[in-house]
Formats: sequence, structure tokens, C-alpha cells
Amino acid sequence: MTRSLITLIALAALALPVSAQAQSRDTDTKTVNIVGTAPVMCFAGTLSGTGSYDLGVLIDTTSGQLRSDLSAPAQVLVGSFCTGRSTITVSATPLEAQNFTATPPSGFARRVDYTATASGWTVTPASYQTAAASNTAATQSRPTSFSGDVTVAISGFATTGGQNLRLVADGDYRGLVTVTIAAVN
Amino acid sequence: MKQTLSLFALAIAAVPSLASAQTVAEGNVGVDGRVAPVCILGDPDPATVNLGQLSAASGPRTGRVATIANRTVLLPASHCNFAGSVLTVRATALIVGDPAAPQAGFTRAVNYTATASGWSGGASAATSAALRDGSNATTSGSGAIQPLPSRADITLTLSNFTTPGDGFLVAGNYSGTVVITLGPAAVAN
Repeated sequence: MTRSLITLIALAALALPVSAQAQSRDTDTKTVNIVGTAPVMCFAGTLSGTGSYDLGVLIDTTSGQLRSDLSAPAQVLVGSFCTGRSTITVSATPLEAQNFTATPPSGFARRVDYTATASGWTVTPASYQTAAASNTAATQSRPTSFSGDVTVAISGFATTGGQNLRLVADGDYRGLVTVTIAAVN
Repeated sequence: MKQTLSLFALAIAAVPSLASAQTVAEGNVGVDGRVAPVCILGDPDPATVNLGQLSAASGPRTGRVATIANRTVLLPASHCNFAGSVLTVRATALIVGDPAAPQAGFTRAVNYTATASGWSGGASAATSAALRDGSNATTSGSGAIQPLPSRADITLTLSNFTTPGDGFLVAGNYSGTVVITLGPAAVAN
């Protein structure tokens, strides 16, 4: 009788941890992690129009000097985006006579300066003056990703060397505006 | 006199015989035990799924979610020793580490479908439905109840990778999780 009693007590003692263990093991959970990356990507968009500014006749035919009312519709880079921090930079070359390449006689010029701006990407538009020695505003930074249109405009035309100079005749004055959107790592 | 001595000898001999009869008396001792309900999931292989680059690098979908092939994870030799178990998956969308609210047209979440099959007749599936700001990232789904104790290899498939509004993916490292749970089916109150 004494031996049986001891045995039963031992069984009861064993049963307690088994019961607690059963409560914690009837459910199991495992976790699978999923990772991936998205690099910074930039796209400067697609030009909405022909991709060129047609200024027409550059001079006032009565004076031979640069017209004061020169203008051209802005070009739009549609669907530009950067998926991270970025900079936008605009640069430009003066309008220059393509055929009359020699140094013009006194009182004449073969080059027209202007200002190119790219707006819509940053709070302060990027701008570039072809006549300036340096263009600190040519590059602007954006701290966040962005997608949208960039409007590129030209304005502020001025004859290189002074407004009193007359432009040499040439059927092809040409300049170039370049807009660069770059990721910042 | 001789007869008297014999009786005495018998009496003496009888004493140990009586004592011997008491030591072989029989009795019953009960033997009891139990088997606790247990469910064990195999260790996921692989434990981490690396999808690599999530965004398309060229073509008309540049910057948006790329076509990502399905991925599978095996949880081998999973088992439950009782009837009435159920497999549940909880899928959390991949979210970029940068907590900033995304700009218009961008998303910081990638949704997907997690499907765990092999346990019962119906697969357990969950499709995350995070918003582009990364909120509402987790969705759960359970399969059919397994009516018997069972042991099986469970296959988890990740598929259908999409982004809210098909927006551009904010640059950065993305991470999500799938939590697989195997246990007793909920009992209706």
C-alpha cells in the first residue's frame, strides 16, 4: 500500500509539466522574410512638341538690331520622374550663326545670348544665362522623389557684345538647351 | 507421546507456510498517460526570400514594379497529431525603410499573394492590400480544416506582385513577412 501511494504521487508530479507543455505546442508559427530593392531611377521625360524653339526672324528689319519682342513657346518634358533624391541641371549655348563663322566686322555680332530655365521640378527653377561667366543657379536639388512635367523656357535675348550691335545675316542661327535630371545617391 | 511430538513438529512447520502465503497476494495498479496535442511546422526553406530589384529598369514600365517571378518556400514534414487543425498565413506587404509619405504618383509598398498549400484540401491564401503610404499592410487567410492527424510538406508560394495604383517605387530597401501558423481550428462559441 505504501509503495502504490508513492507511485501515484510520482505520476501526478510528472503530469503537471506535460499539461503545460501541451498548451504551448498545439500551435506552431514560422516566419518567412521577403526582401527586395528599388534603386534610384530618373527619366527626363518626353518632349511634348518638336523639340526645338523656332524664333523666326531675329532682327528688326528696320534697324538690323535684335528684336525686343523675341519669344517662343516653352517646351515641356512630359512624364519626368526620379524615384529618389535628385538634381536638375540646365545648360545652354548661345544662338550662333552657323554659316558666318568668321569674326564679324566692327558694329556687328554673330551671337545672341539668352536665359534658359527649367521649372516644375524644384521650388527654384534651374536657370542658365549663356552670357554669364558662372551659373550657380543652373543646378537645383530636390530632396524627395518626384514625377511630373518640366517646363523648359528661353527668354531674355540679348546680342552678345551689346544691343547696339547688328546681327550678321545668316539663315541659320542655332543654340542648344540641355536639361539633365540626375539621381543623388 | 510420539504422536504429540509429530503434531508439534507440524505446528512448527506450519508457521512458515502461512507466512509464505501472504507474500504472493495479488493486486491491481492503474497505468495512465496522455498524448498532448502538438503541431510542428518545418523550418522554412529558404527562411528569407530575396526578390532582388523590384522595379523595372527599362522600357515603358521603368521605375514601376517589374514582372517578378513566383517564389516558393518549403516547410517540410509539418505535422499535427490531432484532428481539426488549420493552416493560416498572414502576409505583410513589402514596405520601404524610408517612413516618409510618398510623393504623388509614388508608392512605398509592394503587395503580393501568399499561398500555403499541402495541408488540407484547400490552400490558405492571403493577398496584402497595403495602400501606397504603407498603411493597412497585413492581411490573413486560412484554409480548410484538416479533419485528421496529418503530416505533410507545406509549400508557400509568393506571387502576384503589384503596387497600389501602379505607382513608381520609392527608392530604397523593401521588406515584408509571411507568418505561417498551424494549430487547432477556432471553435465557434
